[in-house]
Amino acid sequence: MTGVIVQAINGLSLAALLFLLASGFTVTFGLMRVVNMAYGAYYLLGGYVGLSVMRATGSFELAMLAGGLAIVVLGFFVDRFLIRPIGSNHLAQVLLTVGVAFFIGEVCLAIWGGDSLKIQLPSYLRGSVELPGGIYYPKLRLGLIGFGAFVAFSLWLLYHKTQIGAVVRAGVDDREMVNAIGINVDRLFVLVSALASFLAGVAGVVGGAFLTLNPGAEWDILVLALVVVIVGGLGSLEGAVLGGIVVGLLDAYGRWLAPDFSYFVLFGPMAILLLFRPTGLFGKEH
Amino acid sequence: MSYRVIGIVVLAAILAAVPSIASEYWVALLTQVLIFGLLALSADLLLGHAGLFSLCHAAFFAVSAYTVAILQTRYGVTTIPAAVAGLVAGTLLAAVFASAVRTRGVYFILITLAFGYIVWGVAHRWASFTGGDNGVTNVPPPSLGGLQIVTKAHYYYFVLVVLAICLLGYRILTTSPFGLALRGIKSSESRMRSLGYRVGAHLYVAFIISGFYASLAGVLYIYYNRFVNPVAAGFPISVEAILMAIIGGTGTILGPFIGSGIILVLRNWVSGFFHYYTAVLGLIFIATVLWAPNGVMGLIRSWRSGNRGEGA
Repeated sequence: MTGVIVQAINGLSLAALLFLLASGFTVTFGLMRVVNMAYGAYYLLGGYVGLSVMRATGSFELAMLAGGLAIVVLGFFVDRFLIRPIGSNHLAQVLLTVGVAFFIGEVCLAIWGGDSLKIQLPSYLRGSVELPGGIYYPKLRLGLIGFGAFVAFSLWLLYHKTQIGAVVRAGVDDREMVNAIGINVDRLFVLVSALASFLAGVAGVVGGAFLTLNPGAEWDILVLALVVVIVGGLGSLEGAVLGGIVVGLLDAYGRWLAPDFSYFVLFGPMAILLLFRPTGLFGKEH
Repeated sequence: MSYRVIGIVVLAAILAAVPSIASEYWVALLTQVLIFGLLALSADLLLGHAGLFSLCHAAFFAVSAYTVAILQTRYGVTTIPAAVAGLVAGTLLAAVFASAVRTRGVYFILITLAFGYIVWGVAHRWASFTGGDNGVTNVPPPSLGGLQIVTKAHYYYFVLVVLAICLLGYRILTTSPFGLALRGIKSSESRMRSLGYRVGAHLYVAFIISGFYASLAGVLYIYYNRFVNPVAAGFPISVEAILMAIIGGTGTILGPFIGSGIILVLRNWVSGFFHYYTAVLGLIFIATVLWAPNGVMGLIRSWRSGNRGEGA
């Protein structure tokens, strides 16, 4: 019984991490129909930048900020000079951003080496707390769940309760129409993309403390984030929350009950879901 | 037409002469080019003819390679039954993964990517059966009814013969009514549907045939490489196969082999003096998309049509 609860919390903490990455992917796709496979590499690079800042300053908050901002700058240049010229061809977008991800991955390898690195936590996040029922659980993971819920709630407020959120939602539904009534969707996209890049970089720093940073981690996390997006439905923020929870829990229980086949446990239900709902739980035709 | 026949004869003569004029290094590299060209060609059956962008072809490639390797090394099965079992295993997997054709566009890309990861995950994690990261080693050289193929040159000829037969099959397939229907689906799915074609069934069958060709590449690969590890099932192999098809030119037979040649020769050359080859590969991806989206065959075609602005 204790195992079941511990795995549920494990799953939710992974869900929080995946949500940070998947929410950006899904909303930028919804707005501009851009498939950016470099988000995994953004995550990894953000994590490494955070690692270096953490080593230099000892401040975890500063590390998160630095990791996020570094990716905002990088993401802007990738959007502006690489993705925008090729237009709306998904095949070209995927190949191009895979190339960007390969390049970033090798730069990270050259700078930070091939060993698995972990970000040292500040003292207030180390150790564990006792939950009701005598379960000891690491503070970091509980903090991550709280952080994920906070970000999800903030994004929800931004998306549904503000003027800018209304414009973004309108842009997701019908970009030409929003353009036609005089709103510059390209400029709006720069803003949304910056937010998404920031979250990806922050996710890397958090992930660097929670998992490890190593070459190849960018693809592992990207695939999980993509499954979140597929299950939830492309372009849907609520879908990213629900998809994150589904994937997090399946991954945690899969690793626990059938370690050899944990990928099966994760992808099998996804495949079955797609047979009945090809656009995911909340998705629309694109 | 006669130009084409002459071209094929000249090409065949050059390929047949390679082992007697080039060193063993080049023979081995050319064998590799042919094998990965076949993998790229299999992915291009979906991409160039049916318009579907699959990111899971390394899965069929690896499953057939693993099947052959495990049957040969652990159960002492001889070459021909092991190779047939490899082809069957890869093709069956393709029949399952072909359920992805229920989706289109981005969903298809992302789902095939996730499917590919299942196979990589099993190869990587199920260590008691697949050997984990070390993979399966010491696969014996192929022997066909008492005839052992040991030297690199002999294996090169073997690959060449197998390839000639399957390219003929591929040509017949793509010029058949079935192949033409696929092209019709690529250019307008709704039109083909309203003409009464069963679009889903066509794509499903195309996916399985494509998986069969990828499995064949896997069988040729395992006897070339003599070992297999999870790298063979990895996402980079799948996406590199697509890149090869695009660099060479999609929707052609020669294109994927040209692309495979460019990528593999470049890799062998660059990794000789530069440690971070993958960064160069990344730049090739970016450069191809930005400046050569129609590939080498596309350049040749626009040159032959006298630069009248005809793309691919």
